[in-house]
Amino acid sequence: GDVLLPAPQSISILSTNMKHFLTWSPVIVQGATVRYSVEFQGEYEREYANGSWIPISECSLTTATVCNITEDISATVAYKLRVRAELGATRSPWGTTKGFFSRAMTSLTPPVLRVVADGHHVLVELADMGPSFQFHVLYWKKGQESRVQQKVVKEVSSVVHLDTMEAGAEYCVKARAHVEAINRSSSFSPTQCVRAQGDTSVWL
Amino acid sequence: LGACRVSMSMTEVRAGFTAIKANIQSRDPIRTLSILSHPHSLHKVKSSDRCCITHQLFTFYVDKVFKHCRTEDSFVNRKISSIANSFLSARRKLGQCHEQNKCVCGEESTEKFKQILANYEGLNVTSAAMKSLGELDILLDWMEKSR
Repeated sequence: GDVLLPAPQSISILSTNMKHFLTWSPVIVQGATVRYSVEFQGEYEREYANGSWIPISECSLTTATVCNITEDISATVAYKLRVRAELGATRSPWGTTKGFFSRAMTSLTPPVLRVVADGHHVLVELADMGPSFQFHVLYWKKGQESRVQQKVVKEVSSVVHLDTMEAGAEYCVKARAHVEAINRSSSFSPTQCVRAQGDTSVWL
Repeated sequence: LGACRVSMSMTEVRAGFTAIKANIQSRDPIRTLSILSHPHSLHKVKSSDRCCITHQLFTFYVDKVFKHCRTEDSFVNRKISSIANSFLSARRKLGQCHEQNKCVCGEESTEKFKQILANYEGLNVTSAAMKSLGELDILLDWMEKSR
């Protein structure tokens, strides 16, 4: 006889650094491969399109219990997600996320950076965090913490030159990630300090 | 937009539209007519009226256009949803500006918007909606140029 499929449970969204994933617990049917289909609904669909839902094709009839919804959560509005199990022609009820999800709820981690003293120059290299990100880089000469300077880095395509150092001085740098679309920033990375090579050469 | 500051990720909206532009424009059989640019281009709108016409156009797209653009193509529908939700988010902020009198409507923007509505209502709703969606780059170009 036809199997009664329960709706997937423990549905939740994991969102870090503007990458969003829907996850759920598997529906177990002995000796059978259960598949799942995912749909999303933005505020527009709720308010202006009769509460319609839109399927995510990459997560239609998938055997995985996770779905990358980043591409579809692409506006700063409240979304709902739902998933159901499918086995042959049998479909479970939908399991829907409790409450709403907005990408403004994503958790932001501090950026990974590498500070380099290249001769008298302080350079910083930032790990790419994705298209939504820019970086606020703060730098100062050790001992002059009140004279912190800031540089906004919008693209991490290359190494960024921060400053030209005085010989023998130590310079410190820290950075945070900023997402304009949700107007939020991460916490600052740990501070890194580098020392300029002492200028031992003497001009005769 | 003058005193009204609205952050909308133009890059995301532009990318979403570019991904479906050819598909949408192929559904518009009447290429000789324009909804947004007839008889005058958006570029003729005075800067003081820019905020208001933007607010009116976002309302136009949210209330009238997107809902009549559902297709049989799931990819296209997902991109339309992305644009529609971005417009909804931006429209909300524009509405707040309007309430705070930072987005005042002058005679020119009112006239221009009336013309756009007349162009829209001159076609059957699905053709008008698809044409309007297909002209989104006209709006995006104008918004970026007038930033």
